[in-house]
Amino acid sequence: MASPVSVYNSNALDTHISSSSRESLKMELLADVSLLPGEERIIDKETIYICPFNGAVKGKVLITNYRLYFKSVDADVVVMLDVPLGAISRVEKMGGASSRGENSYGLDITCKDMRNLRFALKQEGHSRRDIFELLFKYAFPLSHGLPLFAYVTQEKYGENGWDIYKPIEEFRRQGLPNNKWRITFINKNYELCDTYPTVLAVPFKSKEEDLRRVAAFRSKGRIPVLSWIHRENQAVIVRCSQPLVGMSGKRNKDDERYLDVIREANDSTKLTIYDARPSVNAVANKATGGGYEGDEYQSAELVFLDIQNIHVMRESLKKLKDIVYPNVEESHWLSSLESTHWLEHVKLVLSGAIQVADKVSSGNSVLVHCSDGWDRTAQLTSLAMLMLDSHYRTLRGFQVLIEKEWISFGHKFASRIGHGDKNHADQDRSPVFVQFIDCVWQMTKQFPTAFEFNERLLLTILDHLYSCCFGTFLYNCESARDQHEVRLKTVSLWSLVNSKMEMYLNPFYTPESGRVLYPVASMRHLELWVTYYIRWNPRIRQQQQSPVEQRYKELLALRDEYLKKLEELQLSDSSPSSRLANTPNTSSSTSSTPPQQYTHLQTPL
Amino acid sequence: MLTGSKTTFKVRQMLPDIKERMLSQSGVSARSRDVFGLRCLPGECVLQRAVMVRKKLTAREGRGWVSGTLFCTHFRVAFVPQDSPKPDDNADPVLLGDHDVALASIEKVVVVGPNRTKLVTPNSSLKFTPEELVLYCRDLRVICFLFDRLTPDAQVIEITYTIAKTYQPPKPGSVLSFQNAALGSVEMKQFLSNRRRNTHMIWFESASDWEQELERCGATGWRVSSVNDRFEMSTSLPRCIVVPQKVLDTELKKSFAHFNEGRIPRWCWRHPRGSDLLRMASFQNNIYHEKDDIRNLEMILFGCQSSLCVVVELGEELPSPADIQLAHSRLRALCLGDISTSVSVPDDKWLSTLESTHWLDYTRSCLRKASEVACLLRGGHLTVALQEADDRDMGCVVSSLVQVMCDPHCRTQHGFQSLVQKEWVMAGHRFNSRINYHRDNDKEEAPVFLLFLDCVWQLLSQYPSRFQLTDDFLLALHDSIHLPLFSSFLANCQRERCKRSQNPGQSYTPVNGWRDVLHPDSSSDSSDPPLPSVWDWSLQYSKHRRDRFTQPVPPIPPLQPLLNGNLNTNPDTHRLTDTIPGSVFLLSRGTFSCPSNLLPWRSGSSGVYKKSHRRAPSSENVPGLERLLKAWALAEFPQGLTSTSGPQGPLDPYEPLLPLLMGPCMGLWRECYLRGALHAQAFSHPISANHPHPVERLAREVQQLKDKLAQVSTDPNPPAKTAEPRRTDTNLNQNTNNGTFLFPASRSQSTTMPRATAPPPTSTNHQTSRGPLSASAPSSRPGHKDNGGSNKHTFLFGHSSVAEARPDQRHYPAPNNAKLPKSNGIQTAPPHDRAL
Repeated sequence: MASPVSVYNSNALDTHISSSSRESLKMELLADVSLLPGEERIIDKETIYICPFNGAVKGKVLITNYRLYFKSVDADVVVMLDVPLGAISRVEKMGGASSRGENSYGLDITCKDMRNLRFALKQEGHSRRDIFELLFKYAFPLSHGLPLFAYVTQEKYGENGWDIYKPIEEFRRQGLPNNKWRITFINKNYELCDTYPTVLAVPFKSKEEDLRRVAAFRSKGRIPVLSWIHRENQAVIVRCSQPLVGMSGKRNKDDERYLDVIREANDSTKLTIYDARPSVNAVANKATGGGYEGDEYQSAELVFLDIQNIHVMRESLKKLKDIVYPNVEESHWLSSLESTHWLEHVKLVLSGAIQVADKVSSGNSVLVHCSDGWDRTAQLTSLAMLMLDSHYRTLRGFQVLIEKEWISFGHKFASRIGHGDKNHADQDRSPVFVQFIDCVWQMTKQFPTAFEFNERLLLTILDHLYSCCFGTFLYNCESARDQHEVRLKTVSLWSLVNSKMEMYLNPFYTPESGRVLYPVASMRHLELWVTYYIRWNPRIRQQQQSPVEQRYKELLALRDEYLKKLEELQLSDSSPSSRLANTPNTSSSTSSTPPQQYTHLQTPL
Repeated sequence: MLTGSKTTFKVRQMLPDIKERMLSQSGVSARSRDVFGLRCLPGECVLQRAVMVRKKLTAREGRGWVSGTLFCTHFRVAFVPQDSPKPDDNADPVLLGDHDVALASIEKVVVVGPNRTKLVTPNSSLKFTPEELVLYCRDLRVICFLFDRLTPDAQVIEITYTIAKTYQPPKPGSVLSFQNAALGSVEMKQFLSNRRRNTHMIWFESASDWEQELERCGATGWRVSSVNDRFEMSTSLPRCIVVPQKVLDTELKKSFAHFNEGRIPRWCWRHPRGSDLLRMASFQNNIYHEKDDIRNLEMILFGCQSSLCVVVELGEELPSPADIQLAHSRLRALCLGDISTSVSVPDDKWLSTLESTHWLDYTRSCLRKASEVACLLRGGHLTVALQEADDRDMGCVVSSLVQVMCDPHCRTQHGFQSLVQKEWVMAGHRFNSRINYHRDNDKEEAPVFLLFLDCVWQLLSQYPSRFQLTDDFLLALHDSIHLPLFSSFLANCQRERCKRSQNPGQSYTPVNGWRDVLHPDSSSDSSDPPLPSVWDWSLQYSKHRRDRFTQPVPPIPPLQPLLNGNLNTNPDTHRLTDTIPGSVFLLSRGTFSCPSNLLPWRSGSSGVYKKSHRRAPSSENVPGLERLLKAWALAEFPQGLTSTSGPQGPLDPYEPLLPLLMGPCMGLWRECYLRGALHAQAFSHPISANHPHPVERLAREVQQLKDKLAQVSTDPNPPAKTAEPRRTDTNLNQNTNNGTFLFPASRSQSTTMPRATAPPPTSTNHQTSRGPLSASAPSSRPGHKDNGGSNKHTFLFGHSSVAEARPDQRHYPAPNNAKLPKSNGIQTAPPHDRAL
């Protein structure tokens, strides 16, 4: 996965930057930067990049309306930086005009993707003023009345990623509607719930007015709706927000009845309600009008999953960044890692999802919620669905999963990421989606052949979560996206992915439908995602390609070479013997081997 | 069935022969007998069995459960799955089946009943019928058997008691009875003494073995000395040691007194760039009377490099044996979830507890030290002498790690086995004391060798494609250490090993006769059975398991066996030409120094040295040396020295594999340490054993293609030009086999094979079959199909490796340089590799 060309290149984003040779360096520095269609140069400047790994590096920085690009002048140390402005969370001035010491005057940039950048500038003549202001303006366009880059870029792709998810089709794939579940358009104009999608699946028995009454009792109107149904046992995953119980312990007969209808749909003995929160937090939520389902829900059982809130997760990742960037904590690595609690949070999310998946596969319907049902709930339902349904483990299926459980159900990407917004200390920001992708990565590690997509896809998704180059992760919910015409005016990330799918395929994928994947959610078996969190460290990058994949590639190369030689030999052979007559291509070359052995081999050749 | 109440159990005198009469019908004469479907060793008694037992399968075995019969013999706990094929009575005895565990490997027996668990000891009594039987093993395996409702209660109770009573409690003396149980029968003794040893590896027992190694490394200027043949010079050194050619044995003899245990500097290995690796113990007896004394010492220490010697002190930065023992016991306690005490580390404290074992710190420090040494050696033309107080622990670790890093041969199974023979078994690592088989020496116990295996695993996990051996092999070796059956590990040095295999009282065997002693004739009939070598893998592992010891297709094309010691063509080497001859530096904590007392005979108190050497120690070379080390630090950066080493491997195959040692890069060998943890049913591959990983499938495909290609390319049918150069190279064969080139290999084979008593075809290329070649062999079966895919052309030439190399050079542009995979990678790597 490491780009062999540049050392500090941001990896998945720079697909448009051609590998520049050293010769071109001598000519016009920065002339070779290939910009995206619609990307414009704003300013360039001589500067010193204070590389935490190589020390101060002289070079030139270029700022466009999409990226910050740096290239060293010195041909001996090729240092290149290519950072989408969207990845920047904070720009600060470092030092003052009177600061002493070398390289003490300049810019300090904090990024959302686990790195910080420092540039030193000449102290004379306020040399940083213009670059600081322009960078600030273009890094946070929304705070300056500018459009996000996704609205500016003219990039065209062969595929239209907006077509990947069609709710009705996805429900049909799951076998819906059926005699227990129906599709409703009650939210067509986002009247029932403005953060839900327009198409919802609800119990067949419940009428539209029932839904409205339930909506009144659920936070933000996020009523229990179906996310996934088990084809054989008809058990369902239903998601919603917390009930508005409040201090007084209000009850709502409609909500109680509604949950019972869900339970009845496949004759589950009990409907299991998974409240993602720690019970303390659930209780505390009563003070603000929320709460959890009490004993009045007679046919339900309530389980708290002890997953912490967005603030805890944000602080945990911040701690993780502290121990991996710029320098990896050496002496007490494992205990430092433990003290960030990041892996423990990952573990709790995964084990919550395992419980959900296990319940459903044993025939019990479940209801999942947290407070608002757009952070932890999305993590749990989507991970459980990934465990249960092999379709979501394909490249396209995974896109559907994200579109469905995260984007359409209103995970507040805009608030959590803060696209184009200068307010870096916003308490709404949180790496909930990053944590979800981490959980997926943990699963791919434990089941290396079960996923059609590879690690590169996960990295690409996370890079473009911030880049603002695609419309996919913009805004908080469907209604806001409609309002800003995201589908019309921007390109979907899946357009990029699906127009070069082969980049994102896992060569080891072995389709196996119907198997439920239960990862081991134990600290003993979870790993830090080094190739994401520590990828800016040049020492790590060396290792980025998975050794097994590397070996696989070597073997593929070897196989090709042998095949070619066999072929050559045959060509030079004027009278080929009969046993070699059929060796020119791959498939027949294996004819001497048991044929069934290779039927699943996914060779990207 | 034995009588006895279920609830009150006292240790009974259970005489094996009575039990045997009760349970086994067949006589003693058969080589291996079938007893209730269990393939017994000769003389092995089945003490108890239980039917309808299920064994929990590990991740590697495909998970889940398998039903079968559980046995307890006086040597092992065996499990025979229901549908396993009937044992073949004529097959060679195998000590352990795939599902078996030797009694000596068991550390603890725990039973799980309804709502409770209990540790079972020989004296315990059970008050409930167990539902589960859990065997905790010394090698960190945890084996779990589940008793069904269908298992008769009496059998459950009896087998539990039997196992609890017969497994080897850690006490002196139990080892011998265990060995006798396994190997003590007349048939076994006979069988083992007729066993042929593996000739693909070097055993380092004789002078010729060492000479072979000197030749392999291209080390000139060294000779094999048998001055220690009677172990008179040093009791712990082997009979043969390698010393500079210019030092005579008579001179050599005077040097032993100056080193701890007489372990003088000896040659271990030569780097292809011409540096030599030496090992020695610390200096002692610092009285140097004669000039000649000092001259000899200097000659021995500098070896063939007159200019520069670096002494690497291993004491300071590396863990002591006591440290290792403590770390390992903590690691054990941490990794083995122990249900009997239900004390296990809470999951959220796992990482810090793992850290506090220091096990990973110790592997890191060993790897770091070895990396430093590897970088020094890469500089070329100097001598690196590893010095440790007794030269029997860390010297073994570091010297062998350096070779694994630098010498691709040591990353093959046979090369690695030779390496362990050379640097551990023969060099006198105190296996017997360190493993403490007899439980009589707790103070000395320290799994130094296991630490080494972990280090190798770290290298393997960072550079999997640079190894021919696999982690299955490392795991097998790891587990074998805990089995007190192998001569390799049951002694502390060659002297002890020889003693054991000799007749009692005989203290000396002539040089030319001692080899025979290793296979003592059965007439000597000593009470102790002959012990096999650990490298005789077929005694322990089935063919299926052994096949997994190596990668199907060796990642690196086999190298020329000869390193000429002059690979010094790389411009980045800073050859230290400005060196004043005789400079000695100490490498300690990453820096070089030349303390005045480094070589005691040069220090002030000894006047003799000063008279002959007036020159003061020079520090001029320190910068040069530090550059070499810096290369190691830089190498961790992509633009450093290893920038050429893309995923396809570096251009220079001898470029050391320098591991990344940052916290996140050091892994825990989960496959070994965590395989028994009951709470973790983790597995790395969801694909079960009968469904190989795609990499394996591809590897097999490549192997088949390779075989085919080899076959085709020796098929000299049309292009006369291909045959021509070969003929000149193999003119010896050409003379005798005139004209055979004209026939395709498969044809001549189809006719010669029936007559030839050549070994069966194998796909390994080591065969040197010289089957009779009839030049006139006509094609009797022209359409003969493809079964020769593996046996190729071996008998076209006198030596198959020659035959193997020729077509390679002809048709493959460059089989063993990295240009080939690289250029090829561009064409064939999945496109996403190119895009960035």
